[in-house]
Amino acid sequence: MHAKTYARLTLLQATLCRRVNLKAKTVLDMAIFIKISSTLREYVPDYQPSRGLWYEPANLHSPYTAASLAESIGIPLPEIKFAMINGRQLPMDSVLKDGDRVAYFPAVGGG
Amino acid sequence: MSLAPEMLQTLLTAGEGPFIPSSRITWLAEYLHLTQVETMIALLEHDLWPLRFARNRGVLSAQAMVRLLSIKIFIAGCGGLGGAFVDMLVRMGATNIRICDPDTFTESNLNRQQFCTLRTLGNPKVLAVKNGLMEIAPYINVEALQMEATAENLPGLLNGMDVAVDCLDSVPLKKMLENAAQIAEVPYLHGAVLEQEGFIYMDMPAKRRLPELYPGEDSHPPANVLACTVSGAAAVMAALLVNAICGGSCNAGLFHLDFSVPELECFRVDSQ
Repeated sequence: MHAKTYARLTLLQATLCRRVNLKAKTVLDMAIFIKISSTLREYVPDYQPSRGLWYEPANLHSPYTAASLAESIGIPLPEIKFAMINGRQLPMDSVLKDGDRVAYFPAVGGG
Repeated sequence: MSLAPEMLQTLLTAGEGPFIPSSRITWLAEYLHLTQVETMIALLEHDLWPLRFARNRGVLSAQAMVRLLSIKIFIAGCGGLGGAFVDMLVRMGATNIRICDPDTFTESNLNRQQFCTLRTLGNPKVLAVKNGLMEIAPYINVEALQMEATAENLPGLLNGMDVAVDCLDSVPLKKMLENAAQIAEVPYLHGAVLEQEGFIYMDMPAKRRLPELYPGEDSHPPANVLACTVSGAAAVMAALLVNAICGGSCNAGLFHLDFSVPELECFRVDSQ
C-alpha cells in the first residue's frame, strides 16, 4: 500500500481508537499507532488488542525511534525480538514519523 | 495410466456421477495391479474423482489433485501445529508423509494437540498421529520416526522430500531446519505459535529468513497457546502449501495471525 494512503488509513483509525496523552480539542502534532504482541502485552497492562494504542510523544524535540518508543511505553528492549514499521521489518533504531504504525514482537517459536 | 473406455463406462454407470467410491477403487486397484493411490491418479486423469475427494472438486483441479496425491511432505514436529497440519493435508489428499518427533503425549497436550486423547496419552506422538491418519485414509504412506531432528540427521530426513514443514517448538530447531532445507534446495514452510498468535510463511526455495527475524540468542520459555491458535496457524500453512501445489504464486510475505482481535495481516519482507 502506498505510504500516504496507509498514513491516511491509520489516521482515520485514530477516530475510532484510544489515544494516549491526548490533549482535549487539539490536533496531534505527532501520533504513532502501536501494536503489541502476546507476551509483551504484560508490560502495558491496559493494552487492548482489538483497539491497539495511539501514542503522542511528549517530547517532540528529540527524534523517536522504535526503541525509544518501546521504552516510553514500558516494554523492556531485550524482550523485543523484532519490530514491524508500516508492515515491514526495520531496525529498532529506525526514526518514526507521524502516522507510523509500529508492531513489537517477542520470539515466537511454539509448535 | 490410461483406463479402457469400457471400464470408464462401467465406473461411470456404477458410481455416483464422476465420483468413484472407495470400494470400487479397491476393486479396480486389485484388478489393475496398482496401488490405491495409483488408481486414484489414473481415475483423476479422466476427471473421475474418488468419492472421498468429491468436495475438493471445483476448488482443486484434477491436475492439482494428482500433484497433492503425489507430493512428498516432511513434517518436523507432531504437536499442536504438526498434528493439525497433517490431518488437514491428508484429508485434502496428501498420501506421502514423513513425520518426526521424539516426544510422547502428556496430559498438558490435551488442550490443543489434534491426536492427543485419553487413549493415546503416554504413546509416542508419531505413532499416535500415524494411527489416527490411517483411520482417515488407510491407503497413505506414513513414515513415523520417533526421533529429534538434528543438524546431523536432517539431510537424510529431507532426502527425497518435496517440502519441509516446520512444526517444531523452538527457534533454534526451526533455524536448523530452515538452514537444512536451504542446503537441500527444498521449499520451507514455517509455522510458529505463541498464546493467541501465529506466524506463517513459505519460501520456494528456502531462504535463511529466521536469523533475520531472530538474530542472536534464542532462549524462550515453552509457549502457552490455545487450540484455536494452532489450528488457525496450521490452516494458513496448509493453504499456502495447497496454493503452491495448485501453481499459484507463492506469497513471500510473513503472515501474522492474531486471534485476540482476531485478524490476519501480511508483513512485507525485504526481498519483496
